[in-house]
Amino acid sequence: MTATDTTLRTAGAARVVDAVKVYGRGDTEVRALDGVSVDFPAGRFTAIMGPSGSGKSTLMHCAAGLDTLTEGAAFIGDTELGTLDDRRLTVLRRDRIGFVFQAFNLLPTLNVAENITLPLDLAGTRGDPEWIEALIDVVGLRDRLHHRPSELSGGQQQRVAVARAFAGRPDVVFADEPTGNLDSRSGEEVLGLLGRAVRDMDRTVVMVTHDPVAAAHADEVVFLADGRLVDRMSAPTADKVLDRMKAFDLAASDGPAPQEVPR
Amino acid sequence: MSAASATARISLSSLRAHKRRFAGTFTAVFLGVAFLAGTLVMGDTLRASFDSMFGNASSGTDSVVRSADTITTPGDSQGVRQPVATDLAERISRVPGVAAAEPDIQGSGQLIGSDGKPVGGQGPPTLAGNWIDDPELNPYRLSDGRLPAKSGEVVVNRGAAKAAGLGIGDSTVLRTPEPVRITVVGLATFGGEDGMAQVTFTGMTRADAEKYLTPEPGQAASIQVRAESGTSQRELVDALGPVLPKGTEAITGQESAEENTEMISGQFLGIFTTFLLVFSGIALLVATFSIHNTFAIVVAQRTRENALLRALGAARGQVVAATLAEATVVAVAASAAGLAGGIGIAAGLQALFPAIGFPFPEGDLVISGLSMALPLVVGILVCLGSALLPALRAGRTAPLAALRESAVDQSGASRGRAVAGAVLAAVALGVTLTGVVAVPSVWLAGAGAVLALIAFVILGPVASSRAVRVLGAPLARLRGTTGRLAGRNALRSPKRTAATAGALMIGVAVVSLFTVFGASLKATMDQTVARSFAGDVAVSVPAFGAGGSGLSPELAGVITERPEVAGAVGLGRGVAEVDGAGRELTVTDPQALAEGLDLGAVDGSLGGLGTDGIAVSSAEADKRGLEPGSRTRLAFTDGERESFTVRAVYEQSELAGDYLVTREAWAPHRAQDADNLIAVTFADGVDPADGKAAVEKAAAPYGNPDVQTRDEYAQSSAGGIDMMLTLVYALLALAVLIALLGIANTLTLAVHERTRELGLLRAVGQTRGQLRGMVRWESVLVAAFGTVGGLALGAFLGWVLVAAADGAGDSAFAFALPPARLAIVALVGLAAGALAGWRPARRAGRLDVLRAIATE
Repeated sequence: MTATDTTLRTAGAARVVDAVKVYGRGDTEVRALDGVSVDFPAGRFTAIMGPSGSGKSTLMHCAAGLDTLTEGAAFIGDTELGTLDDRRLTVLRRDRIGFVFQAFNLLPTLNVAENITLPLDLAGTRGDPEWIEALIDVVGLRDRLHHRPSELSGGQQQRVAVARAFAGRPDVVFADEPTGNLDSRSGEEVLGLLGRAVRDMDRTVVMVTHDPVAAAHADEVVFLADGRLVDRMSAPTADKVLDRMKAFDLAASDGPAPQEVPR
Repeated sequence: MSAASATARISLSSLRAHKRRFAGTFTAVFLGVAFLAGTLVMGDTLRASFDSMFGNASSGTDSVVRSADTITTPGDSQGVRQPVATDLAERISRVPGVAAAEPDIQGSGQLIGSDGKPVGGQGPPTLAGNWIDDPELNPYRLSDGRLPAKSGEVVVNRGAAKAAGLGIGDSTVLRTPEPVRITVVGLATFGGEDGMAQVTFTGMTRADAEKYLTPEPGQAASIQVRAESGTSQRELVDALGPVLPKGTEAITGQESAEENTEMISGQFLGIFTTFLLVFSGIALLVATFSIHNTFAIVVAQRTRENALLRALGAARGQVVAATLAEATVVAVAASAAGLAGGIGIAAGLQALFPAIGFPFPEGDLVISGLSMALPLVVGILVCLGSALLPALRAGRTAPLAALRESAVDQSGASRGRAVAGAVLAAVALGVTLTGVVAVPSVWLAGAGAVLALIAFVILGPVASSRAVRVLGAPLARLRGTTGRLAGRNALRSPKRTAATAGALMIGVAVVSLFTVFGASLKATMDQTVARSFAGDVAVSVPAFGAGGSGLSPELAGVITERPEVAGAVGLGRGVAEVDGAGRELTVTDPQALAEGLDLGAVDGSLGGLGTDGIAVSSAEADKRGLEPGSRTRLAFTDGERESFTVRAVYEQSELAGDYLVTREAWAPHRAQDADNLIAVTFADGVDPADGKAAVEKAAAPYGNPDVQTRDEYAQSSAGGIDMMLTLVYALLALAVLIALLGIANTLTLAVHERTRELGLLRAVGQTRGQLRGMVRWESVLVAAFGTVGGLALGAFLGWVLVAAADGAGDSAFAFALPPARLAIVALVGLAAGALAGWRPARRAGRLDVLRAIATE
């Protein structure tokens, strides 16, 4: 990760080129991604938006090495994910990527502190203690370190997940609907944390969301529809994003209904 | 659709959907039932085969005339019967209705094989007798060669000839126990088989039999009588009545055959099948745990489903019925398959036994209704019984649970359980200690041991958290995060961990119990020899089984003549009723015995027993109120009664036995004389190796008996124990296998339950190897808990048994813990745990990350 810190800042922390993802065969074939190329620049907060079935989650999964592309390539920095075997891919996720999922982010058997350092522990390293201490303060969980996840509220659990995602200073953090299960106030807190991480701590975040309010926290929004990249929007606001999304709904009611993408 | 059919449909569809979950339950029931059914079928088949074998063999014998009295000593069910006069046969043959009457002279005769080693003696008897000329009266049939015509010629049964490597025309030695040179001239079959199980039989001429097998000519074990056609067995017996002398009896051939069968069935088959039944019981007990666990987990995992059913209007009883119906289907299917498996096992053993030298009679398997119905019922009951509590719990599911996250039972042990367990444990300890210390009683101690076992099972969940934490501590340090995660997973559901480990615990406890008991027996033998054997070498017969024909009473004298030897004393065995109770007598030279054995303190003089003196062990003397100078009446097998004076009371009876008489006193009443042990003391300054070689040389002409140093003698005395232990281990392997299947099954269900969590771990960077390691280590931890608990319980039960037996019996019983063997048990337990975790770990490793973290 020092490479990305010191070399070209314009290079994408993560990117996909001509990404195609096909599920099923023959009659049941579904093209979840249909030739998407997109760069997620380092030091930026990018949101991926699109209606249900647009392929936004698939894009994130493929870009983050959780799923493989049918065609095209996905990169983390200069590493092409398609060339890695399962073990290398796992190690790459562990060392260079952070994750925040919608729900079930934490291991119930580990306490807060252990959950935060889980990827580092799996790697058998201690990480940077000062950085981790700082993170704990930023997410405001110092007095909860020895609690189990079941003793935390949903918002607190997501904040632990955020701390875990950044603990190893990964190249990029992928967040999949991180506020989907939270009330609006907790959601704001989590989004605020992601934003601060990018702007104050120089981290890179890619977030999948269907919530225009959440997308408004990003530096840039990319719009997906029917597996294709259809638009990009810089300096988004909730209203602008909502308007753009409404346009999709109109297009959808004119044209063929968007297909549901199976997971 | 009726309510019942709805219930049935729900359970059937749920079974179809979760076939895998019940694979473990199915296998556990299947194995237990198959073992049980196999045992019963094999027992029935063997019994039927023996029946027909004896039926065939003695079909020509219509009546057996023999002495009416037997002397039975404790531990010997058959008893010793006095002989009848051979000339009675002549008198009988003149009775109207009698076609033939022949004396049956029987004794023991051990063949020396072509390799110079004695044949048999470790188990079934080695018999010798006269070849009965009337083919109808002779259970043996000549199959090859010819009959013995002159002295030294013999017929042997085909099985014995094979075992000895002898053929027609071969010469060898027969130990009767006097070495007799013989030539095999014919081979015989028994009831169409190579022999009667592994009993060896050597048939000689009548003159030889009278000469070598009885103390004096004119005596036979019985007279075999055949009736003329038209005379029934009962009529024959009635006709014989008037000519029978006092003290003899006539029984029908049918009764005799039944007695013989009963003897084999009762002694050999009875013990054999009981033994196997006990172990199938243990296997089924272990299965109970794993079945209960499976259903408990499945019900917990299905909480939402059941809650939905309840919310939609299913009655509590319907939910219970649906779960029980599922259990019933599994139980019936697995038990039925188990029956087939059991028949397969019996058929396999029928094929296998002859291959390992045990003639399993040919013929169809006997599959009785009982041997099918019993395992079926037991299998179904075990399965349903184990599923009952989980089913009732399913019925108690609140409809609201449908709205909650699917719940795994993570509750720890309740306070009530801890209290109940502790109270029971205290009671168990109290009862046990009472049985061991206060009022020594094996029964009381045994009851305490069973209570202790139940207390262990109840306390399992209470102990599991603490135990797993302790056992897991080194793991976290050694295996890092993987180890820590494994430890935490094992801690998640203490009840489940305890139940899973409980099955293994019982298996390991029984293994340890037998290991400790075996080691204690050996230690006892060692101590006995160390304490009581004062000689340098022992010449002995196998300690296990019938012991062959024993040693020639002349041998001790022959050995004494060697210059290297200072003294040699032989110990023979006789039986008599001492003041009305059957007892074993040791026939020996009591004065010389004091040199070869350590008899402890002797009150009185062993020197002057003469023909009317007897020496008694102090324990027996105390019990019967005897002291030097008291008089006691002995009744011998020949019907004689004599008065003996107690001339000495000695302390240590372990090798010497409780009563000593001189050879002179015994001689008038003797049957076929033999020594069981000769204790040899070397002359001063003789090198032990030289001395041993000299004794071996002297003994060689007497059929190469074993000459052993004290250590070797102690070891060989314990030789049978290792054989028994090996058998026990093999039988317990089944119970341990079922326990391991239980661990594997629980883990598979747990992996399924934790799919999302495992996906998360994989997503944030746990490698497949780490994931597999985590599951495997969890398995090892659970196994470690079971193994450690089992070792502790087994060692405790072993101690209880040994200590109680020591306190309750006359002879001292030493307790010994064999550390090496127990360490092996522990290692096997842990390795087995790793093995059990292997498949669930592989399944977990193959998990699709994406599916696991999917939000739906």
